[in-house]
Amino acid sequence: MKIRRKYLFYALALTSSIIASLVVGIDTIIRVKFIQNPYAFGIACFLVGTFITLLIALFLSIPIKGKSIGGKIIDPSFNRLRLFRKEELKYHLFAGFGNSLLTLGYFLLLSILEDPSVVLPFSQIVIIYLLFIESIVEKNVPTIVEVQSAVIVTFGAILGSISLGGSISITALAIVFLLYIPAWTIFSIYQRKLKLLKIDKKPNDSINIRFWNVVFACVFTLIMITIFDFITNSNNIIAGINASFDHFWWVSLTMAITFFAFVFYIRALGIGKASITQAVRSSIIIFIIPVTIILASLGIIPLFSVDPVWLLIKIIGIILIILGIISFALTLVKAYIFIKIKPGHPVEETMRKLWNISGVNRVAAVAGDYDFIIKIRTRTLVKGYEKIIRKIESIEGIKEYKWQSVLKEWEDI
Amino acid sequence: MISAYILISIRPGNSDKAIKEMRKIKNIAKISVVAGDYDIVVRVQVKSLENLLKVTDKIHMVDGIKKTTTQVIEKEIAL
Repeated sequence: MKIRRKYLFYALALTSSIIASLVVGIDTIIRVKFIQNPYAFGIACFLVGTFITLLIALFLSIPIKGKSIGGKIIDPSFNRLRLFRKEELKYHLFAGFGNSLLTLGYFLLLSILEDPSVVLPFSQIVIIYLLFIESIVEKNVPTIVEVQSAVIVTFGAILGSISLGGSISITALAIVFLLYIPAWTIFSIYQRKLKLLKIDKKPNDSINIRFWNVVFACVFTLIMITIFDFITNSNNIIAGINASFDHFWWVSLTMAITFFAFVFYIRALGIGKASITQAVRSSIIIFIIPVTIILASLGIIPLFSVDPVWLLIKIIGIILIILGIISFALTLVKAYIFIKIKPGHPVEETMRKLWNISGVNRVAAVAGDYDFIIKIRTRTLVKGYEKIIRKIESIEGIKEYKWQSVLKEWEDI
Repeated sequence: MISAYILISIRPGNSDKAIKEMRKIKNIAKISVVAGDYDIVVRVQVKSLENLLKVTDKIHMVDGIKKTTTQVIEKEIAL
């Protein structure tokens, strides 16, 4: 079915954040009621998680009428569970390492700050890190609009977090900035790279990526905690293994739901830039509120303040997040440029020159009336002129070009 | 796998219906409504040149299509 790519992207990212907010709720229950040691909880998550993710992935691999269940309902690129490929290994190592650091950081935070809705917003600062990294690695310098929207979302997220109960400690902030956010940056950049890889000439699927990510993260976590245990002479590993058995059902519940949150997240990453996916996903700040209210009314976390000033600040934060996300969504300009070249200029070289222009995300050498068709994505038309048209004009051998702005688009995804 | 762009001009007043019809055609991977010399740019993915002909045929059958130009992709770099 052909739908608008934009819709799918936002649907995936928002679904992911709704599911993730549920996960945070369940995690809080487990941490308060069952597993107090954050390291043990981290280990249990990955041990049980590997097992549960394997079961889910196997279930999704069951074929029905030639297509697997997972391919039908979760990700059309998914066929069945497979071993990771050689070309994926490097990315999986990074993504797995990122995930294991991230999870440990997250549980440390949960153990320092009582209230989950305080942990999440600060982690949204990751958007700014992502914008920065993307401008370096993806030949994708963020435009002023992207920076602006990202800053709006981030500040919104911070404001949105201020009120509810718990206070912010320096240790918590240090964990956020030095551990959690860098880890999340690595994690999402490399998962995006994995999703964009072609496996047997077909797009990579999110279910296999998620499964192998959990496996790698599990290994890294075990190694890191073992070293940590050795240095500090504690026995978190044993505690973790015990916790996996004692609270198997709770941990498997949270990891099963996490699986879906990440599968949708990875699919969204395959469509949009990591920073923008993250920005949309920061809507979790909004979805976490009902979860917090339920947890507080069950007496699991302390009740938050209902002081009108705090509430006002929180509402402003939420409005900023929504505004930021909408402005991301509305400011993408896409265009095709049809290009003719003069005879006597090598095609390959011109192709490479075109590809090096920032904002060009597809160059096709074609046979027909034109020589090249390139696809442009930019945030503003001014930038389209300054950064793209001028560069094209400066390439030697270009005879003629035609800019065709895309007004609306449907895609088979 | 062969990919191609088909550039389409349509008779005024038919775009909505034409797009609706084209969204049903299986081998079309992307439909972009554009402003410029053409009206619609379609990206097609097929197994062989023969299938490309079938898709172009199907597009020709759509009511309101005035003219199509097919550009077969020889080489491509994409993100």
